[in-house]
Amino acid sequence: MAGVKALVALSFSGAIGLTFLMLGCALEYYGVYWPLFVLIFYFICPIPHFIAKRVGDDSDAASSACRELAYFFTTGIVVSAFGFPIILARVEAIKWGACGLVLAGNAVIFLTILGFFLVFGRGDDFSWEQW
Amino acid sequence: MSGFLESLRCSECVDWGEKRNTIASVAAGVLFFTGWWIIIDAAVKYPQVEDFNHSYHACGVIATIAFLMINAVSNGQVRGDSYSEGCLGQTGARIWLFIGFMMAFGSLIASMWILFGGYVVKEKPVVYPGIAVFFQNAFIFFGGLVFKFGRTEDLWQ
Repeated sequence: MAGVKALVALSFSGAIGLTFLMLGCALEYYGVYWPLFVLIFYFICPIPHFIAKRVGDDSDAASSACRELAYFFTTGIVVSAFGFPIILARVEAIKWGACGLVLAGNAVIFLTILGFFLVFGRGDDFSWEQW
Repeated sequence: MSGFLESLRCSECVDWGEKRNTIASVAAGVLFFTGWWIIIDAAVKYPQVEDFNHSYHACGVIATIAFLMINAVSNGQVRGDSYSEGCLGQTGARIWLFIGFMMAFGSLIASMWILFGGYVVKEKPVVYPGIAVFFQNAFIFFGGLVFKFGRTEDLWQ
């Protein structure tokens, strides 16, 4: 049951994050939908981890070059998700308030994804290799 | 007074342990991609060639290639204690790393040259693109150093 509780909590925080993102776009005062492109960053941010997990050998070494490269690229995607709305606000495509809301949504959603991997990443009952 | 810094040694109060490589990778990623977003910012703010000459982007590209070259060889290969010889062996790894570091330092120096020779001395009205080029290259350079020397290869075994 612990897994179900964690899942519900994580989906709740994910919904909060998406709400922040949509507020930044859809409020009448802002009304510009460019920040929705950060959704792409949300979807591709776990991909390096999956690739490293599939490619890397399952030896019990504490770390491997492949996994570290995956962390590097994941960090890059996260940094890009934060940089993108700031650039949009800098060129005045969106307002700074919308940028702040998108950044808050970013933080919540990336923490959610991190929590998802901390809770379910190590478990044997739910492994990505089955897919 | 002498030796009062010895009690401040940071590597002992923080337990790096097995997390060291992860932390170094994340820090290097933050530095590298922040550098690129700085130059993206300058490029979208000043699209005209008079403000920001497009050829200045070559500097960051060279720095990125140098980043890849530096981190493509492991320290063990340069020292010669890796198990496989590779296609060129230890000498090839050393030459590769030497060229990589030369490109890294060269791009850093060139970015300073762009900042001062292209913006400060000419007294241009907007100096920000020059500063952005310099910071981009500095961030990429230090990101490469962190990724190369922040990690330890003992954890791979």
